[in-house]
Amino acid sequence: MITVKDLHKTFHTPDGDLQVLKGVSDHIEKGEKVVIVGPSGSGKSTFLRCMNLLETPTSGEVWFEDKLVNDKKSDIDKIRMQMGMVFQHFNLFPHKTIMQNITLAPTKLKLMSKEEASEKALQLLKRVGLVEKADAYPAQLSGGQKQRIAIVRALAMNPKVMLFDEPTSALDPEMVGEVLQVMSELAESGMTMAVVTHEMGFAREIADRVLFMHDGLILEQAPPSEFFGNPQNPRLQDFLAKVL
Amino acid sequence: MSIITFTNWIATAPSWIQGLPEWLQTLCYQFWQTFIYQDRWHFFVDGLKITFIVTLGALALGIIIGIIIAVIRVSYDNSIEKKIPLVIRILNSFCKLYLTIIRGTPMMVQLLIMGFVIMVPKTDGGMIVCGIVTLGINSGAYVAEIARSGIMSVSRGQTEAGRSLGLNYFQTMRLIIIPQAVKNILPALGNEMITLLKDTSLVSVIALRDVTKQAQNIVSKTYQAYIPYISLAVIYLIIVIVLTKLLGIFERRLRKSDHR
Ligand SMILES: Nc1ncnc2c1ncn2[C@@H]1O[C@H](COP(=O)(O)OP(=O)(O)OP(=O)(O)O)[C@@H](O)[C@H]1O
Ligand SMILES: [Mg+2]
Repeated sequence: MITVKDLHKTFHTPDGDLQVLKGVSDHIEKGEKVVIVGPSGSGKSTFLRCMNLLETPTSGEVWFEDKLVNDKKSDIDKIRMQMGMVFQHFNLFPHKTIMQNITLAPTKLKLMSKEEASEKALQLLKRVGLVEKADAYPAQLSGGQKQRIAIVRALAMNPKVMLFDEPTSALDPEMVGEVLQVMSELAESGMTMAVVTHEMGFAREIADRVLFMHDGLILEQAPPSEFFGNPQNPRLQDFLAKVL
Repeated sequence: MSIITFTNWIATAPSWIQGLPEWLQTLCYQFWQTFIYQDRWHFFVDGLKITFIVTLGALALGIIIGIIIAVIRVSYDNSIEKKIPLVIRILNSFCKLYLTIIRGTPMMVQLLIMGFVIMVPKTDGGMIVCGIVTLGINSGAYVAEIARSGIMSVSRGQTEAGRSLGLNYFQTMRLIIIPQAVKNILPALGNEMITLLKDTSLVSVIALRDVTKQAQNIVSKTYQAYIPYISLAVIYLIIVIVLTKLLGIFERRLRKSDHR
């Protein structure tokens, strides 16, 4: 579904160039759940954001199905409609109600009528247990509720793949569970997922494959049992010793 | 005969005025000449109508121009890392030229050029339009700066959320960024309205009969400047004080709605 070939990304900052991705390649199958872990600053977010071109790769290729994403001629908006993204800080639209947050993109992009979109929204809200918040504004919700709405907002587009960038890192500990619960259910439903997270328990539970990123490279990848049970790379061993 | 001399006037004045000290009598006489004789207060009311119409028209035009320019300039700045589309580059050059010219020349001169070189209005309606267009174009240059900071105050995450859903750049701007930016800059726009209100006093140079022009007209009838001009100042002052109060209330309401 997503294929990444020899991805490089360099940020040009006032203090000089910063090479963040140094040749990352991977292939994510349809229905596969890939969890990406690694120390802070290793390039996990940048890697994820290159997949839907929120960051423009410096070189390399990103393929989504049969389309080259980082091609000047590709219609990036069309591709993004099929790739949902969930952010660490939710990024709900504060001036819109929950219902409007969810239905805005599907209706403005003319994928659904207003009625269809609201129906879909209610159905999804029911799934995450937040129907009664439909007319509330984001500021009235708790962090966990906001993130569940953000997931719903992305799902309302009927995406083929969902990208998560540390969806629980900004939450109070007691709210992490409710969000992971929604993500687990989503995983069970067969969604293709790429998740950057520090929640190792969650990775162990839902991942088909866990990637370890370090300093702009994928140093190791394996199914969770192997990844956590028998890590090969000394850097991964170090990392796991610190976080587990 | 539009001049009634002080001696004639005081002879027919009510007795309580005749009992006043002479300097107060003179003031009363001037006040009477400015406002009451021949119903001259109508001049002020008519002038205020024009002043308000021009202020509101110019504000609306200025906001539209300002937001368009701000969007172009932000688009230009944001696309530094990638290649900048030619259209944006051309539009950005236009904006820069516009800002340089408008900020680099006095408003009075802009009015003279619009009124007597470019638009040359012949009718009353035409003059009002000319006043609105000139002040609106001028105000747009200042609103652009306000709007730019407003757009930049909306977090990057909002743009990313919009784009990640498949909205294009301009849909994201229109549906997500600008509504939030406008809310952020409403207080600053209120100040711009007050500035504009005072600036409309210059439109008298294109013969537009705003409240300032009307005060001048009265002076030319009474040959006395004191009461008409002081009254004019008081009129502006009262409007500005009232507007400032209203804006304060409005701003507090807005802030409350943030913490619901
Ligand atoms: N837009 C940017 N401009 C300049 N530098 C950036 C930019 N985005 C990220 N970086 C830098 O790139 C490096 C990798 O960032 P990235 O966000 O991909 O790391 P990460 O693995 O997601 O870390 P974390 O766990 O802290 O989120 C960091 O050093 C970061 O400061
Ligand atoms: Mg990150």
